Amino acid sequence: MSEHTSFEEQVAQTHAANVLDPDAPAVLTVDNLRMYFPVKSGGVVRRRIGDVQAVDGVSFEVPRGGSVGLVGESGCGKSTTGRLITRLYKPTGGSMKFGEHDQDLATISDKEMKPLRREVQMIFQDPYSSLNPRHTVGTIVGTPLRVHDVVPKKQTLSRVQELLEVVGLNPEHYNRYPNEFSGGQRQRIGIARALALQPKLMVADEPVSALDVSIQAQVINLMQDLQREFDIAFLFIAHDLAIVRHFCPEVAVMYLGKIVEIGDRESIYSGAHHPYTQALLSAVPDIKQATTGERRERIRLTGDVPSPINPPSGCRFRTRCPIAQEICAKHEPPLLQIGKRHKVACHFPGRINQPPSSPITAGLLGVDAQGSPDPGASPSSDLTDQPGYADTWFDLDSKSFGRA
Amino acid sequence: MSSGLSVDAVDGPGGEEKPPEDPEAPQQLAGRSPTRIALGRLARDKVAVVGTVVLLILVVLAIMAPLICDWWNIYPDQKDPNAPTPSQMLDGNQLPSFGPPQYPFTWDHPLGIEPQSGRDNLALLLYGLRTSLTVALLATVFSTVVGVTLGLLAGYAKGAVDAVLSFVIDFFLSFPFILGALALAPIITSRFGGDQDTLRRAELLSLVGILVLFGWMGLARLIRGQVLSLREREFVQAAQVIGVPTWQILFKELLPNLVAPIVVAISLSIPAYVAAEAGLSFLGIGLTESPSLGKTVNSAVNYFERYPLYLWTPVVTIMIMVIALNLVGDSIRDAFDPKTRR
Ligand SMILES: Nc1ncnc2c1ncn2[C@@H]1O[C@H](COP(=O)(O)OP(=O)(O)O)[C@@H](O)[C@H]1O
Ligand code: SF4
Ligand SMILES: [Mg+2]
Repeated sequence: MSEHTSFEEQVAQTHAANVLDPDAPAVLTVDNLRMYFPVKSGGVVRRRIGDVQAVDGVSFEVPRGGSVGLVGESGCGKSTTGRLITRLYKPTGGSMKFGEHDQDLATISDKEMKPLRREVQMIFQDPYSSLNPRHTVGTIVGTPLRVHDVVPKKQTLSRVQELLEVVGLNPEHYNRYPNEFSGGQRQRIGIARALALQPKLMVADEPVSALDVSIQAQVINLMQDLQREFDIAFLFIAHDLAIVRHFCPEVAVMYLGKIVEIGDRESIYSGAHHPYTQALLSAVPDIKQATTGERRERIRLTGDVPSPINPPSGCRFRTRCPIAQEICAKHEPPLLQIGKRHKVACHFPGRINQPPSSPITAGLLGVDAQGSPDPGASPSSDLTDQPGYADTWFDLDSKSFGRA
Repeated sequence: MSSGLSVDAVDGPGGEEKPPEDPEAPQQLAGRSPTRIALGRLARDKVAVVGTVVLLILVVLAIMAPLICDWWNIYPDQKDPNAPTPSQMLDGNQLPSFGPPQYPFTWDHPLGIEPQSGRDNLALLLYGLRTSLTVALLATVFSTVVGVTLGLLAGYAKGAVDAVLSFVIDFFLSFPFILGALALAPIITSRFGGDQDTLRRAELLSLVGILVLFGWMGLARLIRGQVLSLREREFVQAAQVIGVPTWQILFKELLPNLVAPIVVAISLSIPAYVAAEAGLSFLGIGLTESPSLGKTVNSAVNYFERYPLYLWTPVVTIMIMVIALNLVGDSIRDAFDPKTRR
């Protein structure tokens, strides 16, 4: 494995990209999920003076055994979404239906959650802080087995060794401490711990961001093997679109607590219609655009991400959007389905540098092109933001709902 | 996933960077915990070794006090029927009839005899050492348990529980200790007062109680601060995601990471309690019935000019003990310093 090959080339050497199974039932259905963290004033009496709208109305589905990528700049609410699904936080609103019985992770009590914790596990970002430095590897990987009585006490050790072997570590190293392992090996330990409960859904929060490029590919390959072997669904969080492309046949792009574009691999990587997705893609140097033969256009994101305490009115991306217009400040663009498996939240969705001249959403929202109320038009009833995809969608060419 | 299932690790750990030593080396299989690394560091610290030896000698002397006194035929009080009466030991001025300050050194009473009571100074010193270490040890154990538990709870709970606990911590920190001791000591003691033996024990326990009551906050606050930052580490979230019960997160996940600050706090609180016991007994609000170095110092101050040995022995003993404890404490802090860990 040479030092100079890109991540994509490295993973491709042994593993083909994951493919989408369009018929797989959803293992997790997230609907209008919201998480507001209160902001308190200083001083003795700490009043609530506002909210960090870390996640604000997010909907998506994770298919059984499949993987959905969640990308966006740091601070856009990806980790918070992951922590809501693993119920590290209790959401402010929305629902998260999980499993065959459609149990709502958003509302069940901590007690009811306990058995479900076996099914929903998490891989963490930082291999240095995600393992307790005072515990041996055996204790770390054995903890889930012990807490959930997965195996009789006597068999814990042999099971731990089995798990270490599965993730490609020496099973004899169970009595070592984390500080004796490299970053990549530590991440494998974290994966073994999450795997111990044989979860149905794995939330992987930037699992390889902290690793060297050459090791990233190995860990991704390992996760891919495990996913296939044990039929685990992944919510794969990353800020880098290149890594997600290989692992996730479906990708959701988040900006400031909202999903701005979601779709299958093809729709996002070769047919992104949201200016933010296009900007993220153009920041990735080695994404090949061979499929479309399109010339690469560079869009640079300028300015800082606005504060999620006071997000911009209308479209949250408008302060940094190169094609923003008046209507963008007045109305929030609905997440509109524009393809079989493709949704975008923008008033001017289009191919890169080819946005439509007038807001395609104006008619649907019952306003004119500037966003002022239009007495002649009425808001469309077709604007529903359901998780998953509908059979009919808004055709950008004919500017009407219909089947392709 | 039974043993039959195993993903062939195509690219195993082979291509990965390895820990410095050869993982296959059999003698290296057992890992070294951070605590053991710190202890190794401590063993190489000369000051720590000398301080520990001094402390060990003092502890052995305290533990062996009854044996030594028996062997030497000296008595810390007159309860024993074999003990000499004050009139046998003192002259008309209530000064010793043997040894210093008026007569030459005698091996029967190497540190002299106490004026007024006629008891042997060496016996008083040994039993005073015993009292002093017992009080310091008990106070340290209890205040550590209270401080660690409340600190863990306050740091982990957030919200109302934390607010209440933090208020209690601040309240006790700002409460004047001496005033509290002055007010509480007689109250607690009088509740248990009875015959001399019960009174002695009641006094000792109430002193320990007072020291604990005003001594747990520092550690509680320290632990709370550490937990506030530790709880943001991902391994705590990993435990929560697994469903580890809260008390196990507190005592199995967090507590082992707090060994360093706890050990440091303990090693610095023992000398403080030794000094506090001596100080309170010197002021007359500590122990009156048990032998105590502080109490001896108090009586000896009156004889400073005529009988300096009587004053110097307890003072020097307290000094040696407190200095040794502090030096060892400092070395322990250096050895466990979190910054040099990992
Ligand atoms: N526990 C919390 N309390 C208050 N604000 C938080 C908390 N966790 C995250 N946030 C805020 O929510 C926003 C989203 O954070 P996060 O989900 O970590 O983003 P990402 O993982 O995409 O980088 C950020 O503005 C962050 O400051
Ligand atoms: S809605 Fe307007 S501001 Fe938002 S992304 Fe589209 S064009 Fe830009
Ligand atoms: Mg994050």
